[in-house]
Amino acid sequence: MEFFLQQTVNGLTLGSVYALVALGYSMVYGVLKFLNFAHGEVYMFGAFAGYGVLTVLGGPSALMVPVWLALALMFVGAVAVSSAIGVALERFAYRPLRKATRLAPLISAIGASFFLQAAALLLFTANSRSFDAPTLIPIQTGMPLGPINVWAIRILVIVTALVLMILLTWWVRSSRVGKAVRAVSFDTEAAAMMGVDVDRVIVVTFLIGSALAGVGGVMVGLVFGRIFHLMGFIAGLKAFTAAVVGGIGSIPGAMLGGLLIGFAESYTTAYISSTFQNLIVFGLLIIFLLLRPSGILGRPELVKV
Amino acid sequence: MRRRSIWKLVATMLALALVVAACGDDTGGETTSPVGDTTTIAGDTTTTAGDTDTTEGGTTTTGAQPVDVCEATVGFMGPITGEVAFIGEVQLNWFNYTLDTWNEETGYDFQMVEADNQFDTAQSATLAQQFLDNEAVLAAVGPAGSDQVDAAGAVYEAGDPNFTFISPSSTRAGITAQYTGMFRTVPTDDDQGPTTADFLVAQGATTVFMVDDQSSYSTGLADTTQENLEAADVTVIRESVSQDVTDFSALVGTIPDDANFVYLPWQVAANGTIFANQMAEQGKEAVIFGSDGMDSDDFLVAGSYIAAFAPDIAFVEGSESILEGYLEQYENTNTFGPPVYAAARVIFEAIERVCQTGQTPDRASVQAEVRNTDQADSILGSPISFTEDGDLAEGRFFIFQIQEDGTKTLVE
Repeated sequence: MEFFLQQTVNGLTLGSVYALVALGYSMVYGVLKFLNFAHGEVYMFGAFAGYGVLTVLGGPSALMVPVWLALALMFVGAVAVSSAIGVALERFAYRPLRKATRLAPLISAIGASFFLQAAALLLFTANSRSFDAPTLIPIQTGMPLGPINVWAIRILVIVTALVLMILLTWWVRSSRVGKAVRAVSFDTEAAAMMGVDVDRVIVVTFLIGSALAGVGGVMVGLVFGRIFHLMGFIAGLKAFTAAVVGGIGSIPGAMLGGLLIGFAESYTTAYISSTFQNLIVFGLLIIFLLLRPSGILGRPELVKV
Repeated sequence: MRRRSIWKLVATMLALALVVAACGDDTGGETTSPVGDTTTIAGDTTTTAGDTDTTEGGTTTTGAQPVDVCEATVGFMGPITGEVAFIGEVQLNWFNYTLDTWNEETGYDFQMVEADNQFDTAQSATLAQQFLDNEAVLAAVGPAGSDQVDAAGAVYEAGDPNFTFISPSSTRAGITAQYTGMFRTVPTDDDQGPTTADFLVAQGATTVFMVDDQSSYSTGLADTTQENLEAADVTVIRESVSQDVTDFSALVGTIPDDANFVYLPWQVAANGTIFANQMAEQGKEAVIFGSDGMDSDDFLVAGSYIAAFAPDIAFVEGSESILEGYLEQYENTNTFGPPVYAAARVIFEAIERVCQTGQTPDRASVQAEVRNTDQADSILGSPISFTEDGDLAEGRFFIFQIQEDGTKTLVE
């Protein structure tokens, strides 16, 4: 039981991060119907921005401000940088290609991904960085859950992800801009004819999706420690898998997919073998693409014949 | 109006991003040559001790006057970018440092051609062909990894077996026997595996939890160590995880309570620290033993052990000044650096010996002299001479224990 509980907490933590990153994929796909393959790099820049703020504040062992404030500022820094990059990507890499063939923005996204990786290599070098979160919040700090102790950082990650997902769901369902996002996602031309500023909606979509990726980046840095310039690639693929499994274009689907992938990774390692972790995750992707391309919560696309 | 204000906001955020990124860059290494100006054309870089004007196909150099007419170009191939760029950056820095100090010391004007294989086998083969096609290149240092050595070695062997290449970090046993021109300045897994296993057995290991990182280096070393441990009746639980993974929580959860050692033959030392933190989080008390790839300031977990090519060169008599000189120009180093210095010196000295006989160095004569290498001492604190295959004749590994203050104490 202790073993299962521990692995569940591990899966929940990892799944929360995947869910946040998957939301960005899903939102952009929902609105523009294309995959923003540079999203993993936006997440990577968010992680570095959080690390930058931590360094400016004196680093984990010599913080000049209380820990809670440092954490809050790290998230703010990551959101600022990631959303700025996301908006810039939309403006310069995707908007000029909006009327081009569907392949063009996809290729542009791959190019943007490599550009951001190379930019990170130049800016931060290839050395990995550590948030050294156990110095910020000792590992022994946390909450007992039956026979195990859950580290406070893990609780922070899980709770933050849940709160952000709830807020996003509320925003999309209830706010004026959120409704506009849904309208554009449903039918761009009709939304434009009804007076919705489509360009603005797309910018807001990129801004919010990228901000969530930035938060995810800081979370990974905090809970897993190491950040490096190529960290966005695999995380991006896993989040993309999560988005497809949950139903790409569906916000609850992205959340569900993220959690499922997190649990799949954790339980595979625990009960099968760590060697097969990626095999299982990407096997899930293939199975869903073959059997249910619309994912668990996605709606099958209707095609006029 | 609203659109303009959005763009002002975006511009401000991007400026903030750059400031924050620059502030966060506190441990990066230098990648450019400290002495010469470096110009890159089509992926190759030529660096000299003086000022350099590079044009397609040729280099004009002005600077220190040579004391003798002995000219040579030596290649460097390593993973300067890509997933293990932390290795390539340090190796390139050490190569540049060796070249600069050699030219300064001798008055020669040796030059280098740099090739970034991104730790990729296909790139390694292509770049090896480029080295072969460039008649000026007499020999090369690199590649770093055994898979890349295989890719480049096949090209050299087919194109010109007289081309010498010295790997500063490939440790797979038996690989030198496959390529006429291959040498290396590091011991092999045949040395490291048994040394590690013997040490763990002597420390009372009964169950060892072993995790390879799915690279050729890691799996080969894990296999050898596992074989030796099992021969000594130690139970080995073998797992495998990709280098790109940074969450080991689930894997850590599977470490049995009776495992008294965790063996991590990894190349990304920072991952070892994460693994250790996650062990502490889940109350796992086994002691970590890291391979030479973990010998880095990124892994300073007190009580853990690491294997290394050599004693910390800061404590090797005669090597302290080399390290100091290096650190004056470059910010960081790791295990992968000093063997590059040793490899480059072997090649430079071989070329010099050819020059001293009055011959113009060519690939065959350089290889013959590399084979004759007999350094009584080296930066690594041990003699350098090669077996018939090209392995170090006296290769051995050292074991350190990491102390509370981050220093390393030699224990074997």
